[in-house]
Amino acid sequence: MTKSTFRKQTTFFHFSFICALMMMLLPWGKVVILIQPYWLALVVAYWSLQGQANIMNWAFFYGLMLDVLMGSLLGKHGMSLVALSFLIAKSAKQLRITSFWQLMMMVLALLLNDLIIRAMIDWISYQYLPRAIDLLPIISAAFIWPWLKYGLDRYQLKIRNG
Amino acid sequence: MEPLHNKRHLTQSPLFHFLVLELICVLLMVSDKNQSIAQPLRNGLSYLAYPLIKTLEWPQQFFQSAQLALSRQNSLIQENTALKQQLIDAQLRVQQNTTLKAENQRLRTLLKAAQESPLSISMAFVTNLNMSEKKQHIIINQGSNAGVFVGQAVIGLEGVIGQVDIVSAHNAHVILITDTAHAIPVESLRTGIRTLAYGHQDAVILNEIPVSADVREGDVLVTSGFGNRFPRGLKVAQLTHLTMTENRMFQSATALPFVNFERLTEVFLVWPNNTPHNSDIAIATES
Repeated sequence: MTKSTFRKQTTFFHFSFICALMMMLLPWGKVVILIQPYWLALVVAYWSLQGQANIMNWAFFYGLMLDVLMGSLLGKHGMSLVALSFLIAKSAKQLRITSFWQLMMMVLALLLNDLIIRAMIDWISYQYLPRAIDLLPIISAAFIWPWLKYGLDRYQLKIRNG
Repeated sequence: MEPLHNKRHLTQSPLFHFLVLELICVLLMVSDKNQSIAQPLRNGLSYLAYPLIKTLEWPQQFFQSAQLALSRQNSLIQENTALKQQLIDAQLRVQQNTTLKAENQRLRTLLKAAQESPLSISMAFVTNLNMSEKKQHIIINQGSNAGVFVGQAVIGLEGVIGQVDIVSAHNAHVILITDTAHAIPVESLRTGIRTLAYGHQDAVILNEIPVSADVREGDVLVTSGFGNRFPRGLKVAQLTHLTMTENRMFQSATALPFVNFERLTEVFLVWPNNTPHNSDIAIATES
C-alpha cells in the first residue's frame, strides 16, 4: 500500500463515521426516526469486519461523540460499540468467508446484543422500560446492511486500485 | 500468517484492550453523575461536534432565508397586519397590567409582604436536529459558554416548558415537563392547593391530591415556586380529568400543558436574580 492510498483510506474511514453521525442527527419525521437504523453501529461493524487497525479505539471515540450529541449518559454508546467491534473483530476471519446470509444474521444478532446493552444501561440509569418498537431499527438495519457493505466495498476497491 | 504459539504479551491482546475500554466506559458513566468531572469532558468533545452541527444547520438556515426572499409581498403584508393586531392586543393588556401591578404593590406594602421582583430572562432558539433519544428533550442553541446551567428553568410564551438537563459548550438539552423523569411543584390558581405534577406521555399527572381538596376539571395550574427551580406563578397546565386512586387515599388528575411542544421555535431562559447573566453584566458596566 502506498502512502497516498493509505491516506485516502484513512480519510474515507473517518468520512464514513462522520456521515453515519450526520444521518443520525438529521431531523427526519417522527415515524422515520423510530425505524431509522443505528447507522454508527453498522459502520463500526463494517470496519471491524475489514480488520481496520485501532477500530476499537475509534468505536469508543465516536461512541463518546454520539453521547455528547445525544445528551445521553457519557460512555453509553461507547460501551455498546466497543463490545460490538470486539465481537466482530475477534471472528472477522471466519465471518469474511461465510455466506452472505450467515454474515447478515451474525451482524443482526450482534446489533441486538448492542441494543440490549444500551437498554440495560438506560434501565439502570433512569428505570427506562424497553418497548417493542425499540426493535424496529434492527429490522431496518437488515435492509440497509447489504447496500452499505456493497457500497463501502466498492469504494474501497476503487481506492486500492488507484 | 499468525504464529501457532501466540507469545504476545497479555497487555497486547485484543481481549485486554476491550476490557480496558469497557472499564473506562463504566468509569465515565459513574463519573457522569458528578458534574465537575464530566462537564469539562462534555464541553471539550462538543467543540469537536460543533462543526458537525453547523454543517447540518446550514442548509436549514439557507432554506429559511431563501423562503423569506421568495415569499410573495402579499403574504408578507398579511403577516404584517396580523402582527400589528397582536401588538395592539398586547399593548392593551399591558396597560391593564400597569394599574394591576401598582395596586398589587400598594397592597403588598400594606401587608408588609416581600416585593416580587420581575423575571430576568433571555431568549434561545430551538435547534431542529434529532439530538435526543427515548427522553423528551428539546435542544437549544445556547450552552455553558452563554452561562446556561443545569436545572435552569425554561419557559415559553404560553407557559412552562421544562428545565435544562444536560449542558455542553454550545448547546443544552432541555427536559420537558411531560417527561416521566420530570416533576414540577404546582398550585391551583383557583384554590391555591399545592401538589406535584409528574410527566406522563403528552400530559402531566397529579397523583397526590388529598381527597378533601377542592379541585375541578378546568382548573389552571401555576408553578408554586417551591424548590426554587421555577419562579412562582407561571402557567403550567389545565386540569382535564379527575379520578380517585385505587386505594381511595388520594385523588389523581391529568392536566394538559399550555405549551405546544411540537412547534417550538424560541424559548426563554429564566435567570436567578442574584446571579447576573451576560446581558445584565453588559448593562451594569454601561451604567
